[in-house]
Amino acid sequence: MIQATNVSLVYNDHEKKVFACNDVTLEVKPGEFLGILGPSGSGKSSLLYLLSGLKNPSSGTIHHHGKDLQSLNDQQRAELRKKHFGFVFQQPFLLGYLTALENILAISPASKQRAEDLLAELGLRDKLHRLPHELSGGERQRVCVARALINQPEVIFADEPTAALDHTNGEQVVQLLNQHRGQGSLVMVTHDPTMLASSDRVERMTEGTLVGR
Amino acid sequence: MFLRRNAGKTVPLVLVITLAVMLIQSIIALINSIPLSIRTIYRYTDAFLGVSPRLDPTMTPTFVKTLTTNPPVEIEKVILCRASGAQVKSIVGKWPFAVMAMERADLDYYLQRQGAKGITGRFPKDGAPEMIISESVARNLNLKLGDTFLKPDDSENFSRMPVKVVGIIKADRWMMLSNKQYFADTQPIPIDFALIFTKDISKQGEYDRWAERKMKGEFAQLFAFHQIEKQSSEMFAVLYKIINLVIGVLVIVITTMMGMLMNIYQSQRLVEFGLLQAIGFTKQQLLKRVLIESLIVIVGGWFVGLAAARGVLLIAQAALMTPNAFALDVADPMALMYTVPVPIAILIVAIGTIWLRFRNFDPVAVVERRLV
Ligand SMILES: Nc1ncnc2c1ncn2[C@@H]1O[C@H](COP(=O)(O)OP(=O)(O)OP(=O)(O)O)[C@@H](O)[C@H]1O
Ligand SMILES: [Mg+2]
Repeated sequence: MIQATNVSLVYNDHEKKVFACNDVTLEVKPGEFLGILGPSGSGKSSLLYLLSGLKNPSSGTIHHHGKDLQSLNDQQRAELRKKHFGFVFQQPFLLGYLTALENILAISPASKQRAEDLLAELGLRDKLHRLPHELSGGERQRVCVARALINQPEVIFADEPTAALDHTNGEQVVQLLNQHRGQGSLVMVTHDPTMLASSDRVERMTEGTLVGR
Repeated sequence: MFLRRNAGKTVPLVLVITLAVMLIQSIIALINSIPLSIRTIYRYTDAFLGVSPRLDPTMTPTFVKTLTTNPPVEIEKVILCRASGAQVKSIVGKWPFAVMAMERADLDYYLQRQGAKGITGRFPKDGAPEMIISESVARNLNLKLGDTFLKPDDSENFSRMPVKVVGIIKADRWMMLSNKQYFADTQPIPIDFALIFTKDISKQGEYDRWAERKMKGEFAQLFAFHQIEKQSSEMFAVLYKIINLVIGVLVIVITTMMGMLMNIYQSQRLVEFGLLQAIGFTKQQLLKRVLIESLIVIVGGWFVGLAAARGVLLIAQAALMTPNAFALDVADPMALMYTVPVPIAILIVAIGTIWLRFRNFDPVAVVERRLV
């Protein structure tokens, strides 16, 4: 469904070239839970940004249903991210002036009922109308999970969603993502192998390349 | 939504714009009230053309003949009156005003021509040291029925005998009128003033201009409203240049301040914009959102400022202007025009800075927490 072919991402760091991703070829299959494991600085986040169209590769191609992401304009790519992808980042980024429920409706204004149900299923039934600063870190990350799930995306990209949480909360977030993704795929990046216990497949990454191939 | 939930940040922005708009509107309207008051004082001269000889007091009938021969518009009446000087108060000190003394029948015509709605008290008796004044004059000089205005020992408001106010004319216009007989009895040099009235009052200005051309080179003095308008605008031209400069500087200062404020305020929201962009909003959508928010703040501040200025001006009018019969236009269109550059300049600066920020903006940097 998402096919990365020989993609590289190069940063120019004081004249010196840094290969955040180096000649990576990878497919995300429909409905799978793909784990990407690697130490800090190995290029996991970079790979995720490439797959989700947040960054353009320096070389190589990314196809989504056979369509080259680089051939899309900004607006089409934003549309793709909004309608077909879901994101959970390392930090639970929410809009501080909106309540838990409103944060989700900001993406999908028409899905009030579904948003309420989702939040309830994620254990936030009583906290729909709280502002982010009135929620704990784990609760905030669960709101982010609900936001990622609201449009029933084809793929959810999760970049270390557990990093800011303790182990129990972290595992809970991964489980919730896994349970509620329905038909969608889940691509999760982490340096913690225990978080990938329920994954279908794990790719390992070091210094910008996939290993074990 | 952002605006409502962040009243703490929004209100100061609105307030700054409000204060700026209020300041500019009030200053301009108050300054405009000076020439406006002067024009109001002399408004009565738009009802006629006044003519008096400069050199030879017996020339008045000749001038009248010249001015009534082949006029471009129909003339209704000519009144011959006597006049003397008096002083009224204005915002910028004392201004000369004319006491016009005419016969009883002419007074009736004159008052009707000036749109008077009657008189409290009575008309001056022929030959008696008596006068009538209009309500504005009474308020301005704090005169009541029975008060003595012109006096032998008052060089500014002189008459050979003490002249009593016996009637107050119900009219907006400023008028001081007396009876011709008394003036004829007491003035050392008899000079007749001719007042020439056109049939159609709206054509008086046209006639006045024609008369000026016709009388060029004669030893006659003409009095016409448009001359007073011209004089007052010439008088204040320098003042207005200074005001333009001051307001210009004010607009620049406020705009710079507001631009910086708005910039800080939008910078605090880069995380929000980065996140929204990462999860699927386009730059255009976000720009539009910022634009609408800025518009609400700026236009809101502008309207509140106009309302506040109106409040200030209404207070100034009630406390300062009306008791002295000074004129103030609380809805001064020129003052309104002067406030327009403020919101426009601020909007341009706000949009400019936001656009610059968005141009090279990488949502990943926000999501990665490399910014904040
Ligand atoms: N904007 C940038 N400019 C220069 N180098 C960068 C930039 N972003 C990332 N890098 C480099 O690219 C490499 C991969 O970074 P990336 O963030 O993808 O790693 P990561 O595997 O996600 O690490 P972590 O687990 O710490 O999040 C690192 O060596 C990093 O220093
Ligand atoms: Mg990372």
